[in-house]
Amino acid sequence: MLVFDQLKKNDPHLRVITWGVLIGLAVLFAGLWFVQVISHRHYAENQKAQSFRTVRIPAIRGKILDRNRQPLAENQPSYNVSLYLDELREQFKDEWQRNRPKGKLTRSERMLLEPQARYRVVNKVVQKLGAGLDQPLGMDFGQFLRHYTNQLALPLLVLTNLTPVQIARFLEQSGNPPGMDLEVQPLRVYPHHTTAAHLIGFLIQDNSSAVDEDAFFNFRLPDYRGVVGIEGKFDQELRGKAGMKSVLVNNLGYRQSENIWTPAEAGKNVVLTIDLAIQQAAETAMGNAHGAAVVMDPNNGNILALVSSPAYDPSVYVPRLTPEEALKLSDERLRPQINRATQENYQPGSIFKIVVALACLENGLDPEEKIYNPPNPADPGHGHIVIGHHSFKDTAPPGEYNFKRAFIRSSNTYFITNGLKCGVEKIVQIGQRLHLGERAGLPTRQEVGGNFPKAQDLKRGWFPGHTANLCIGQGAIDVTPLQVAVMLAAIANGGKVLEPRLVDRIEPQGPLADESITRFPPNPPRGELGVRPRTLQIIREAMLADVEDEREGTGKAAFVQGMHICSKTGTAQVKDVHGNTIDHNTWFASYAPFGDSPRYVVIVMVEGGISGGGTCAPIAQKIYRALQYQESQQKSKPAAMARIP
Amino acid sequence: MFSIPSKERQPKVEWPLLLAITALMVIGVAFIYSATMANESSGVTSWYRQRFFMQCVWYLFGAIGAGLICLVDYHLLARWSLVAYWATILLLVMVLIPGIGATHGWGARRWIDLGVFQAQPSEFAKLSFIVAMANFLSRPEDELRLRPIFWKALGMTVLPFLLIMKEPDLGSALILLPVGLTMLYVAGIPERYLRNLVGGFALLIALLVANILFAPPHWQIKMEEYQKRRLQVYFGRDFIPANATAAERQDARKQQRNYSYNVDQALISVGSGGMMGKGWRHGTQNALGYLPRAVAHNDFIFSVIAEEKGFMGSVVVLTLYSVVLFTGIRIAGQTRDRLGKLLAVGVVAMFFSHVFINIGMNIRLMPVTGVPLPLLSYGGSSVLCSLIAAGILQNVYIYRRSY
Repeated sequence: MLVFDQLKKNDPHLRVITWGVLIGLAVLFAGLWFVQVISHRHYAENQKAQSFRTVRIPAIRGKILDRNRQPLAENQPSYNVSLYLDELREQFKDEWQRNRPKGKLTRSERMLLEPQARYRVVNKVVQKLGAGLDQPLGMDFGQFLRHYTNQLALPLLVLTNLTPVQIARFLEQSGNPPGMDLEVQPLRVYPHHTTAAHLIGFLIQDNSSAVDEDAFFNFRLPDYRGVVGIEGKFDQELRGKAGMKSVLVNNLGYRQSENIWTPAEAGKNVVLTIDLAIQQAAETAMGNAHGAAVVMDPNNGNILALVSSPAYDPSVYVPRLTPEEALKLSDERLRPQINRATQENYQPGSIFKIVVALACLENGLDPEEKIYNPPNPADPGHGHIVIGHHSFKDTAPPGEYNFKRAFIRSSNTYFITNGLKCGVEKIVQIGQRLHLGERAGLPTRQEVGGNFPKAQDLKRGWFPGHTANLCIGQGAIDVTPLQVAVMLAAIANGGKVLEPRLVDRIEPQGPLADESITRFPPNPPRGELGVRPRTLQIIREAMLADVEDEREGTGKAAFVQGMHICSKTGTAQVKDVHGNTIDHNTWFASYAPFGDSPRYVVIVMVEGGISGGGTCAPIAQKIYRALQYQESQQKSKPAAMARIP
Repeated sequence: MFSIPSKERQPKVEWPLLLAITALMVIGVAFIYSATMANESSGVTSWYRQRFFMQCVWYLFGAIGAGLICLVDYHLLARWSLVAYWATILLLVMVLIPGIGATHGWGARRWIDLGVFQAQPSEFAKLSFIVAMANFLSRPEDELRLRPIFWKALGMTVLPFLLIMKEPDLGSALILLPVGLTMLYVAGIPERYLRNLVGGFALLIALLVANILFAPPHWQIKMEEYQKRRLQVYFGRDFIPANATAAERQDARKQQRNYSYNVDQALISVGSGGMMGKGWRHGTQNALGYLPRAVAHNDFIFSVIAEEKGFMGSVVVLTLYSVVLFTGIRIAGQTRDRLGKLLAVGVVAMFFSHVFINIGMNIRLMPVTGVPLPLLSYGGSSVLCSLIAAGILQNVYIYRRSY
């Protein structure tokens, strides 16, 4: 062979030369083996690290739909103009050549002047775009520099949220500056703005990776995270899975090509039990009043409407909260971000007499037995009752009261007398079966549990005055409107204490794949009220009379022809730390229709109202009218019914 | 008597050499194409001004040159060698004169502008040096033992060496030393001379390196700044002065990165090629400009090949060069006269030095010096000289028995 022939030859000089060449080539061979085969991974990674930039692409967020698939939160394309700097490189070079100072420049001088030349080009291009779109545009030097140094591989956002006219102009103009591109980004919109805002929650900008996601990216496109409400609780489902694309960059950091590695997986839709029409009707009915309204289906706990007023518009958080809006949201008096239906404690006032009535009737109260309500010496037109040294006023006039009259006139004397006779333990027992003092179990967890005495509270330092106070829904008791809805549902449905149900199902966006739908069937009732049907019947009849007794019903302002509403009104005193009454919270707790197949529970609570019957009953009436209207619509259009899944 | 015609029928062409060189030329064109056509601005230039086409033209001229060389018996060539030697020395002097030599903006004055062709006299100096040296050393063996002859031979080596160093072109200059040394050795110069010589050299280089790396600034030998930096980078030393401020330190570190940039990127190119490579024209290092475009097609062409064809490609290239080298050694062994042997050995030494230094520099075995890879690197002078050198080998092969 070529090599070994030389080594065999009897020419010592050439033999040495041959060995030398052989060793030299062997060294190169070994070196190449080491670099290309053994260290291959190391260099391949270096190569990737320097020429690939990974970009996180957020997925399209799922919608939030009402029970008829009407969108409460959805996405709208937002059209942005982006500028690809890599396409301006020739112009950068030209500008630099044209305007650079003569002579040799030091490195630092170039470092100072070159970005300015680039900026001039970009600014000119942006201004030209602005002229074409009839909108004065400019580029801030600092903004440009930041983008250039930090994310050169990404397009520079020039103009966001183009109007339709601007989009048309941009698309028509053939003379758009080079490197400009129209891009579509989904933008969260809440089509009904303040409607169900508290339930829906809101988003904040957050580009960070989800838990099970690749954690390292060179760049992240803007993404949002849900904070509270449905947006917060179901953030993971709504958010979907972010995708990843890689951008190949050259030695100067300019984009060379793009490649999508994993496409983003769109988030899922969350379908609520809320009915948009009812929700809107309830909100309209509430008007400017501060308070809450709950509409619930007493058969399964479905929440059809959950209103808290005043409300905020979650749209203000997208793309980001402005300082002025933030100031409005943190208003101390209005507190628009508090969900008054679930997040605030309110004294129930007279609506708690339903619980007292349950306890008394179960423990032997004869509903026909009459109790005399003596006139109040300070106010002879109204009755009163003295417990210990304290006189409790009664809004009902003096006279004889049986259960029904006492209920609809909401006689404090009657309920305090009978409540004391029956014993506070029995009342507390019924309240506990209704899970008062505990969270009702809303999936969004924006809830407080209220306050309710526990058995051990009654053993020490509990006096008849406390019981008397409790009997009229004052003192050691606080509830949320949602808890009251659960309570009313139990009366209406024959004693089942339900868990409110807000989310019906989570389903994929786009074509429905049946198996990937997550359904949330109604939970089994949390408990049973455990009272005799007769007791319920007496109370239901009294509640019906509250609305339909034209002479004496306190809730008659809620009357709707054909609805047979059963209600209890309440007016609770709001006291300051010194025990002085400073305000009233007014209640209207109701269900309809009277009978064996109730369909709606409607709770209305207004802060600073005048009385339950005067302030809240008219609001409830409007809500019931809306419900009645919807039923008549559905009856006349059975096809529409069928569409509802 | 029957044996004579059979000898005459011996092939006149050394086929392995020719085939290996042809293969190298094909690879050269293919990868110069790959290295230069990735650059988008090259798309506008017309095809006949493209580098890969120019390289073909040089190959053609080189082949013609080699063919012409083969027409003339090397014994006759050798007689003119001194003329050629002094002519190239003259060119090397001329290139240093600012009006004649061109810098091409590199800071080094290496080119003579001939209008269509930028000649690089240092390349031709290597060739004429080999021929002149071979001629000089092909005297009777007794004379080689004489000290003046040894000194003269040394002088013949050092004169072009110094002139090329002056350009400065450290790489080309350094090539002359192993070539001269090998020729002295094969010619049969007494070994003690050579031992002293090599020992002296080693000492000198050690001193030089020590000087650059460790001596305080004003004690250092005057070298071009970039040469010094290259060596410092090669030995992994930073050149941050001890009393530098934070800003200076940062600046120096940045400079350091810039200086070691080419080597780092060449290594990434070679290493990321892996076993099979990324495929012809699919190398990213060059296309994205990480491997500087100014050097990808000449000094760092091997990185492009190694990245796109992987270890297998590197082995093919090495094999082709080893065919050239060992055929050269075989030709040297077949000659009957010392002139032919020295010519062949000189050419082999030259090829080997180029290959070893260039590929070694791509994998950080050697410091970065501007030494082209014979036949693969883009460049007229280099291609012409390599092909003419191959022609000389072929010439020796043809005329080795005709005295």
